[in-house]
Amino acid sequence: MSSDIVINCDRVGKAYQLYMHRNDQLKQALLGHWKQFYHQHWVLRDISFKVRRGERIGIIGRNGAGKTTLLQVICGITLPTHGKVKVEGRVAPILALGAGFDHELTGRENALIGGAILGMRRATVEARLAAIAEFASIGEFFNQPVKLYSSGMTSRLAFAVCAHADADILIIDEALSVGDEAFVSKCDAFIENFAKHGTLLVVSHDLSTLSTLCDRVIWIENGLVRGLGPPDEIILHYRRSIEENPEAALAETL
Amino acid sequence: MNLLKPFLNAWQYRELIRAVVRRELAVRFRGTILGWVWAIFGPLVMLSAYTVIFSHAVGVPASAKGASFGSYALSIFVGLIVFNLFSELAYRAPSLLHEHAGVIKKSIFPSETLAWTATIRATVYALISLGVLLIFELLLTFRLPLASLLLPVIAVPFFLFLLGTCWFLMALGSFTRDVAHLMISIVPVLMFATPIFYSIDDVPPHLRIYLHLNLVGNYVEMARDLLILGRCPDLLLFSATVLASLAAFFFAYRFFMQYKAVFVDVI
Repeated sequence: MSSDIVINCDRVGKAYQLYMHRNDQLKQALLGHWKQFYHQHWVLRDISFKVRRGERIGIIGRNGAGKTTLLQVICGITLPTHGKVKVEGRVAPILALGAGFDHELTGRENALIGGAILGMRRATVEARLAAIAEFASIGEFFNQPVKLYSSGMTSRLAFAVCAHADADILIIDEALSVGDEAFVSKCDAFIENFAKHGTLLVVSHDLSTLSTLCDRVIWIENGLVRGLGPPDEIILHYRRSIEENPEAALAETL
Repeated sequence: MNLLKPFLNAWQYRELIRAVVRRELAVRFRGTILGWVWAIFGPLVMLSAYTVIFSHAVGVPASAKGASFGSYALSIFVGLIVFNLFSELAYRAPSLLHEHAGVIKKSIFPSETLAWTATIRATVYALISLGVLLIFELLLTFRLPLASLLLPVIAVPFFLFLLGTCWFLMALGSFTRDVAHLMISIVPVLMFATPIFYSIDDVPPHLRIYLHLNLVGNYVEMARDLLILGRCPDLLLFSATVLASLAAFFFAYRFFMQYKAVFVDVI
């Protein structure tokens, strides 16, 4: 059934315009019609895959392979240069933990704003504040400004807010390794539970976690899908490729 | 284009706008002992200063001759409230997207709401100043013009004009930071082209038409008519200004939304 497909990436490509000089951007805007002042850097070249409801998908690849850009495109933060992305349902992205936090505000106030960004009603967030504080388990610090937090505490709070957002699709970028052992196992339990009704997309370099957590893994290299399938198989190929060519240059994509 | 779009969009994100406005208002005076008293103290000092200065032999323009000095100070204050509202946003809007780059790039933050929150925040402070103004007017003249009740009729289009200004400057400012510097040089010039310390009636008739191109100035004149002089603004001026404001509002919204996905890659 096609309605089971919640994420559909169809030949997605994304190019950034690289400018050699600061002024070139302005020149491009004014004179771009006649001459090109940038050269394009294709972060994503041709990515196609489908995700069904309730699937747990892992995304792996070297630094600079385009994983984060792919997540940004799926979240609708940035537009693909070509191709189409269709996403059904509410997305809660955890791309950079605590990026949206105002450091002068308390954890509680940030949770309210974070919830609003994710499209929750204030009353709903207020009703869940206790649960969020409990999940983050940062104790008294919940009522202190975020600037006093340790980086671990900031991440835990950010994760707790997203975890309580009632999302249909949870998108996580390398966020699972933030806490101590206790928090990680809490997150694992949450994800286990979440995957019963929601869809999960995880970028991580922690291959052993991915192999237990995910149903399928997508391996991205140079903006292309290099492998897509069962975690163990794909991860094996990925490991082998890294061993063979540990320095596989970013430079070649530039 | 659907004319309701900008409003439906804001309604959709009303919870976010509310949360951010609350934050901005709460943060402003956090850490001060007097807190919100500062919001009233600022305009109070300014208005007192004007009243003292202009009641003590500073040259008063022709239009204000015969009127009480108090009311001249009040009419300057009206002009300043309106103009400061505009200038605060003109200074701030070009860097708004840069300030929020983190949250725009890293989460699904609807950047168009930043114009709403900035404009609402600035309006709240303008309303405080307005309150101070009305109290002073009552103390100095023992009456408030009935026409003041019509203030929303010009305040709403002015608000939309400010929102449009915000969207437009945010969009331009995201591409180049020069816009922020441009504003710092332009706004003071614009201040002299706005009838704050004078009235449009002091200007030679053949130059008035150019001054009317400055919408902020028109709003100053109309606000003065309602709040100080107690008369209805010129209907032609009113309709032209409102139409121009609405056009600016819808154009700016469309412009912003058209380039919204591009900002992410340049900020």
